[in-house]
Amino acid sequence: MKFFKLLSAGLGLGLLIQTAFAHHSTNGIYDETKVDELTGVVKEWRFINPHPSLIITVTDAAGQAHDWDVSYGGSAVVHLSRRGFKADSFKSGDTIKVSGNMALVEDSYGLLAKGDPTHADGSPIIIRP
Amino acid sequence: MKNISNELRKTILFACTALAVGVTLPSSAATAQVPDLNGVWKWGACEDGTNFGCMILEEDDELLTDRAKAYRDAIDETAQPKYDCAPMSIPHMWTDPYSHQIEQFEDRVVFTYGKDDVVRTAWLENHGHKPPAHNEFLYTGYSVGRYEGDALIVETTHFSFDPQGLNADFKLASSTQKKVTERYTRDGEGLKLTVSTEDQFMLKEPWVYSVRSERDPEPLALPWNCDLGASRQILKLLPSDYPNDAKVTRIPQ
Repeated sequence: MKFFKLLSAGLGLGLLIQTAFAHHSTNGIYDETKVDELTGVVKEWRFINPHPSLIITVTDAAGQAHDWDVSYGGSAVVHLSRRGFKADSFKSGDTIKVSGNMALVEDSYGLLAKGDPTHADGSPIIIRP
Repeated sequence: MKNISNELRKTILFACTALAVGVTLPSSAATAQVPDLNGVWKWGACEDGTNFGCMILEEDDELLTDRAKAYRDAIDETAQPKYDCAPMSIPHMWTDPYSHQIEQFEDRVVFTYGKDDVVRTAWLENHGHKPPAHNEFLYTGYSVGRYEGDALIVETTHFSFDPQGLNADFKLASSTQKKVTERYTRDGEGLKLTVSTEDQFMLKEPWVYSVRSERDPEPLALPWNCDLGASRQILKLLPSDYPNDAKVTRIPQ
């Protein structure tokens, strides 16, 4: 992880309430003491149950590209739909920013999203109903 | 004669009416006591003011037996069937923030949950439904129901052993001896559900809580269509508690 040019956004925990009922427990998997921000290119958006996920390709400071799994924790399609997410919210090739807690396992490239991803310029992608 | 005939006719008419009323009254009375539970209901909120807290059996809950704690400590997270799209059984299923639908029929009540494509049938008593064999165990158990006063009572037994039957987050299992009793009543415009769970292997005493639900104007978002890949995605972030064991290749792949 140290190879990545990551911005410690300092957004604080609890930026947005995330569905806490994963059953796929996130306890001890992510570093919940800090929120980091990634900028990457959308590779795949999987709007499926039990848990949608976003794959983005992030290029590190050394020029190496890695695919990051961005998770929404216990949220399912129905929960994200009510927050404004859609099956076509993200398109391959889009550059986006996303904040969250990074996975504790070294070089596992996992992120538990906190808040909604934005376009590279910070404008919203998700329009809440 | 004419008057007698008229009187006789009236008497016969009265008798027929009385007979008809006599036949229909018990049925009407019984029907009047059956609460209207039909419809889609939102995820319940605890009546004790703990939001959803009452539905959570904690990791070190005082209700847990030593056996339940020993199992919790022995099994590792990666071995949980939830990573194979396995559904949650009751009562743990209710901790999930999904709506559910109730459909009342003459001889059964059907519960459909907004997650995992779980459909449960409570077979109403005295309709000749054949119970399962004593050695037949089911993931969501076998449910029988009856109306008592203004309540629907559902008792469920015949559960298969469930590694996540009391709490999937804390690896709290339930045994084949689990018995779940549900009591549904209307509470104004809402629905009240009181749940009592017994499992002598895993619980020192019955675990009881009550939740209240409001009607959900939205239909259930089904089918669930659980994706195995998505279900297992987080496993790559979970180290095994048993690194000396061979790496598990889950089936189906």
